[in-house]
Amino acid sequence: MILRIAWMLARPGTTGAATVALPIVAFATVTALLLTVIGGAQEFFAWSDGDAIIYQAAAVIALVLLVVPLTSLGAAASRLSARRRDDRLATLRLLGASPLTVTVITALESVVVALVGAVGGVAVYLAAAPAVGLIPFRGEALGTAVLLPPLVVLAVLGGVAVLAAASAVLGLRRVIISPLGVRMREDTPRPHWVRVVVAIGVIVATNVVMGIIGAFQMAVILTVLAVGFGGSLLVLNLVGPWVLRIIAGRQAKRAATPERLLAARSILESPKAAWAQVGGVAMTSFMAVFAGSAVGLLEVMGEDGENPFLYGDIRTGVIITVVASFLMVACSVGVNQAAAILDRADLYASLAKLGMPVGTMERARRRTVMSPLRTTAIGSAVIAAVVVFPLTGATILFAPLSLVMIALVLAAGIALVWLGLRATRPVLERAAQLA
Amino acid sequence: MSHAILHASGLSKSFGATTALAGLDLAVEEGESLAIMGASGSGKTTLLHVLAGITAPDTGRVSFASPSGPLEITGLGEQERSRLRREAFGFVFQSGLLIPELTAIENVALALMLTGASRAESEREAATWLATLGLAGMETRRIGQLSGGQAQRVAIARALVTGARVIFADEPTGALDSHTGHDVMDALLASTVGQGRTLVVVTHDAEVASRCSRTVHMRDGVLVDGKVAA
Repeated sequence: MILRIAWMLARPGTTGAATVALPIVAFATVTALLLTVIGGAQEFFAWSDGDAIIYQAAAVIALVLLVVPLTSLGAAASRLSARRRDDRLATLRLLGASPLTVTVITALESVVVALVGAVGGVAVYLAAAPAVGLIPFRGEALGTAVLLPPLVVLAVLGGVAVLAAASAVLGLRRVIISPLGVRMREDTPRPHWVRVVVAIGVIVATNVVMGIIGAFQMAVILTVLAVGFGGSLLVLNLVGPWVLRIIAGRQAKRAATPERLLAARSILESPKAAWAQVGGVAMTSFMAVFAGSAVGLLEVMGEDGENPFLYGDIRTGVIITVVASFLMVACSVGVNQAAAILDRADLYASLAKLGMPVGTMERARRRTVMSPLRTTAIGSAVIAAVVVFPLTGATILFAPLSLVMIALVLAAGIALVWLGLRATRPVLERAAQLA
Repeated sequence: MSHAILHASGLSKSFGATTALAGLDLAVEEGESLAIMGASGSGKTTLLHVLAGITAPDTGRVSFASPSGPLEITGLGEQERSRLRREAFGFVFQSGLLIPELTAIENVALALMLTGASRAESEREAATWLATLGLAGMETRRIGQLSGGQAQRVAIARALVTGARVIFADEPTGALDSHTGHDVMDALLASTVGQGRTLVVVTHDAEVASRCSRTVHMRDGVLVDGKVAA
């Protein structure tokens, strides 16, 4: 019965194609990135020499950076599904459907959207494999090593579906679907800690797998790495929202235009939500400056005797991780913003009636995301530079190009998120047109 | 001699197979309070939207007696109509539809800031209007910290702060209990027609309509009668 109802509800609604296309594109991007990184990682895990551990650890970090935003993407996609079917789900409740039935239908839709996106992601991964295969590690192109066995690809597809279902159910805790409509549940705390748990879980699972295959020493090193990485994530998650609140508070006081006032107040309304969208960038940005300066300096000082490619490889890995992380944030921002617009569709329609130009609403929305993103990316980079100042100071003197490259990659990442945000403008225009 | 501030003629509007307006004519006199009544689906909200330049009619025209001369709203593009709504018209909706993350004074000031006024000047004007509507001391409260009646007064202040000459209200008391609704209607009338402005109200409520100077009834997209209150 639930399947039949879900199929009936899958007919086109009034919110436009973007609300379906965005999560599909987002899941496709995530899956393609996930498969590509796992593809590269399988090559690293085949190595057994002294330097292999560095490559393997880097691969695990990259995987964690991908899996964490995947969960928030799933939650956002389910919120979007609930919003897109707003009136229909409310009618179902009126007709006597239980909250469980409605939750299952919404989660089911999220899983289908995730799977459609994931299958697209496999196609993107296969199409990009020849280009990715050209990336050199240890002086040799990865080549066909990035191609995964079909069973692993299927396992990733299954994993994406399971994660989408789990995060959909978690995400729906923030939404009330009642006979009177769909609205946000204001008092439910956002499950930030879930991200850290997932991050640590992934690393622990990796350790277990490594333990089973006999690489005990590496498992210990990875555990230390996991604790350090998870701990940093936890600290950033605690401090980040607080910093955003302080900055937004000052911006709200000084705001001289409607868009600046709206953006600052939106961030102040929930600094945690603002942080949730861009927090992933903090760790990446921190790592990029830290590793980037170290590698740049080491390269200038001379090659590693045993592995002349090591430093260059680490820099390649850092750049790939930064770009992938920003891509994930861009996807997450796109889906979150589409859901947020639908959450407030009545308000946007009323503002359009008052004569507020869509451009003003768009600029306000853009600032709401981009301002915390800039603060997070630049702030984390500056903190990293200060923390390892002797290192960054020396890098500025002896290998400035290395820092310039990291700055350029961070700027490109910020531009990527801007594009993700821009993709949701049709959703806003449609909401405003419903005036 | 007619002093129509809004004049509509031959208005038609359909949404798919549904006809909302079917060749409707209406003149709204300057300084009057006009109630538009009718059953659900009779076309009254569509009429309000067309009069205010929110929706373009399929046929017909609406002209507005602006201070600089007659202006045909139906001949304006979307951007010009938006500007007209920002600068010459004010709106009060059933559920206020205020921005929840802004304070009361910011919600009101925002309307003036959208016309290009500075924030300081906008907040000064907003504070004056909030005080006029009995909300002095509540300027920094957020919308969630106000009662339904207080929030609706903030919405009225927002509609008036730009110096709007015509205020459009869509079921302004529909979400309030009768006592609060009566008070809100008092405030709305005093701050609009009481100060020479024009008020157009869409309502189901005969009590609200009875307090307006004129009531028109709609059925199937046309006016079926009109009467002037005693």
